[in-house]
Amino acid sequence: MTIRILVVAFLLILAGCAASTGVITASGSQVELRQMQTRDYETLDKRGTLRAVVATLQDLGFVIDKADYDLATISATKLQDYEIRMTVTVREREGSWLAVRANARFNENPITDPKAYQDFFTTLDKAMFLTLHQVD
Amino acid sequence: MKAGRIIAITFLAGALVACETLPEDAFRLNESALELREIQSRTYEDVTEIEILSASSAVLQDLGYAIDEADKNLGLLSASKRASAKDDMEIAGKIALDVLDCLATLMIGCEDDAYQSSKDVQDIRMTLVVLPDLKKERTHRVRVTMQRVVWTKGGDLYQQETIVDSQVYQAFFDKLSKSVFLEKEGV
Repeated sequence: MTIRILVVAFLLILAGCAASTGVITASGSQVELRQMQTRDYETLDKRGTLRAVVATLQDLGFVIDKADYDLATISATKLQDYEIRMTVTVREREGSWLAVRANARFNENPITDPKAYQDFFTTLDKAMFLTLHQVD
Repeated sequence: MKAGRIIAITFLAGALVACETLPEDAFRLNESALELREIQSRTYEDVTEIEILSASSAVLQDLGYAIDEADKNLGLLSASKRASAKDDMEIAGKIALDVLDCLATLMIGCEDDAYQSSKDVQDIRMTLVVLPDLKKERTHRVRVTMQRVVWTKGGDLYQQETIVDSQVYQAFFDKLSKSVFLEKEGV
C-alpha cells in the first residue's frame, strides 16, 4: 500500500503538472474556450472599450507590453510571485456589439478556469460602465 | 508500517500541492486598488493630449528609459530600462547576508564578494496612459504603473514585483510636471 502511494506521488512529480503533448497546438474544446474567454458589450465605441481594457489591466497590476489600436489588440504582463501574461482583443460583432476576448497564461500554463475569466470580465464591466457613461 | 504510510501520504500531498495554482484574487480588485490608483495618477491642466504625451516620452528619455510601445489613439506609452539595484533596501539586506556568509566561511576576499553582489541589476518596466477629462477641456489624467524584476549578479531571478511605493510615483510625476512646463516653453 505504502509503495503504491509512493509510486503515484513519483509519477505526479514526473508529470510535473504540465501537459506533455499538444503544447504547441493544445487540444480542448475550442468552442467552450472561446465562450469563457469572450464577453459582448452593446457599444460601437472601440476606442472607449480599448481604453477600458487598458484601465482594467492597470488596475489589476499589469504593465502593457503591446498595444495596437488598429488591430484592437493589447498584451500585458503581471509580475508578482507569479507571472500572468494576457492578450485582450476587441472585434466588431453584428449589430451594435463589440466582442472582447481575453486569453491568459499563469506561469507556463494556459488559464482554463472559467472563474478567472469571469473575474476579469466583472472587473472590466465596471471600467466599461465608467468609460461608456463618461464618468471619471 | 503505519509511520511509513503517513510519510508516503505526506509525500503524495506534497506532490499535489507542488502544482502551482492561480491565486484567487489574480483578476479581482483588492482593497488597496483604489488607493494605488490614486498614487499612480495625476491630473494635468491646460495641456493637450499630444503635449502631455510628448512631455511624457521626454521625461522617460531623461530617465534613461527606452520606449517599447507607443499608441497615440490609446494615449499609451510603455517603456523599460535596466538599472543597478544597489540602492534598494532588499539588496542591502542581501549584502548583509553575504557578509555574514563570508564571516561564517572565513573566505579571503569576502568584502569583494559582498561588494560585487551589490551590483545586481533590475529591469524596470512601466506603462503610462493619458486619459482626457471629458468634462474639462485641456485637462488630462496620467496613470503610470511600474514593475521591476531584480536579477542577481549570477543572472538568477531574485525578485519580481509591482512597484507600490508612493514616493517613486511622486518623484516621477514631479519630473513630468517639469517636463510639461519645458514642453510648453519649447525647451
